[in-house]
Amino acid sequence: MTANSLRGKVAIIGIGMSPVGKVAGRSPLWLAADAAMKALADAGIGKRVVDGVLSCHAFASPFHRFSVAFSEYFGIQPTFSNTLQVSGATAATMFNIGAAAICGGLAEVVLVVGGDSLLTGLTPDLALRSMTESRDQQYEMPFGIPVANTFAMTAHRHMKEFGTTAEQLAEVAVIQRRHAARTPGAQQTTPITVDDVLNSGMVTTPYHKLDCSLISDGGAAFVLTSAEQARELGAQNPIYILGGGECYSHEHIFLMPSLTSTGAVESSRNAYRMAGYGPNDIDVAGIYDCFTGTVIMMLEDLGFCPKGEGGRFVADGHMTYGGQIPSNTHGGLLSFAHSGMPGSLFHFHEVVAQLRGQCGERQVAGAQLGLVHSLGAGFATNATTILGTEHTL
Amino acid sequence: MISSEDAMKKPQPAPDADSAAFWRGLREGVLLLQHCADCGHVQYYQQAMCRDCGGENLAHRPASGRGKVHSFSVVHRAPGPAFKADLPYAVLLIDLAEGPRMISTYTGGNPEEVTFDMDVVLVCEKISDDVTLPRFRRA
Repeated sequence: MTANSLRGKVAIIGIGMSPVGKVAGRSPLWLAADAAMKALADAGIGKRVVDGVLSCHAFASPFHRFSVAFSEYFGIQPTFSNTLQVSGATAATMFNIGAAAICGGLAEVVLVVGGDSLLTGLTPDLALRSMTESRDQQYEMPFGIPVANTFAMTAHRHMKEFGTTAEQLAEVAVIQRRHAARTPGAQQTTPITVDDVLNSGMVTTPYHKLDCSLISDGGAAFVLTSAEQARELGAQNPIYILGGGECYSHEHIFLMPSLTSTGAVESSRNAYRMAGYGPNDIDVAGIYDCFTGTVIMMLEDLGFCPKGEGGRFVADGHMTYGGQIPSNTHGGLLSFAHSGMPGSLFHFHEVVAQLRGQCGERQVAGAQLGLVHSLGAGFATNATTILGTEHTL
Repeated sequence: MISSEDAMKKPQPAPDADSAAFWRGLREGVLLLQHCADCGHVQYYQQAMCRDCGGENLAHRPASGRGKVHSFSVVHRAPGPAFKADLPYAVLLIDLAEGPRMISTYTGGNPEEVTFDMDVVLVCEKISDDVTLPRFRRA
């Protein structure tokens, strides 16, 4: 643990989520604001208490300063705010930075919030093209290289080096679909088989359509405050931030140090060290799952299984109930919803709900410690946050 | 946000101060790598500073054009309408003989024939008066 650790100093006291999936006629700002209303109601506080706002960008929103536009829309004037941009990793960084801002006295009550409408706010072509726009303008975009392709090349190399199979990749999608079937409001709940995934049409080898995350509308929001303030506000069931870690190993996929070992090794190592817990202690995980192979690689790099064994680990049932680390119990980006950068906020929503014991038939019995890992841009960005109940402090 | 009209066009590289010589080289049929005179580091991604030692004593030298496929992915769903006519095409991560890794696409053959560790060779493909792209074919 470092001297200035934020361990246990900040609690999540409210969570909220807009409708997700296909939410026609609603803007990214509305989706964010609807989620924020619910998060504040969940925390039992009014919006005037909020003095900090952290957001991610929205593809379907024209605002350069989403967090500022959000505050105006929501009718608040925070004294701390920023719109963060490290692609898919942004979700976890909002919690890490929000906690640091509270510890450092920049804000007392921070709203972490995001919303986007990739499904109904953009045509499918434009949504895909928007994803391409995040690639290098000179070295990647002219070749027609979607971000999916960079992730695909890491998974493909993983198959070559470790013998990971297409069936093992597909198994991730099958398991998460099963999870989504028990999650109210999930976008895709129809059961699928490994064969369904393999026959769903190739997108970019080795990824078939059902190996890829959904395109969705939706938003989520969280209320963060200091542990002391949480007590003063009479927060029910606060969930504490125990550790955070990040790693930015490269910008361009061709400068990634290794295609099969990612910055998640470093980001999770730092988060575990701060939390004082290791991978074997974690009860439930939310793992960024833009693609099936991403989950397999993350199960390895987050320390849940040895390098190269992620495929077998999944096929042996270790990422679901009764296994070593039930992961993406809401269905993840693959089956619950993927509204761009806010997508990973749903992992946080689920892990907090699991730690509060609010997940009904999909509850992981006795869950006390959770981990969320967000990542983006072909593993260029990685951020890990470890959460725990009062008992884990 | 991107307009529908923009999405129909392939993105064109706009050279900057770090990369102008690189794109000029491609127009003349060579792939220029930067060799650091101070530490010997060789870099593909063009920058006016050595990524290893920070030195600015960089010399451009043409690459041999030879490389091996480190990983690849065959694209069957285009990232936007501008690339639909090219489907399917293989995106390659190539380890150049000089050391650096670069990204490109396969040309002059069926994308399904690409394999790991396949030997490939540079093809300078002119796409406009201003822009020549470095692509690769089977050696």
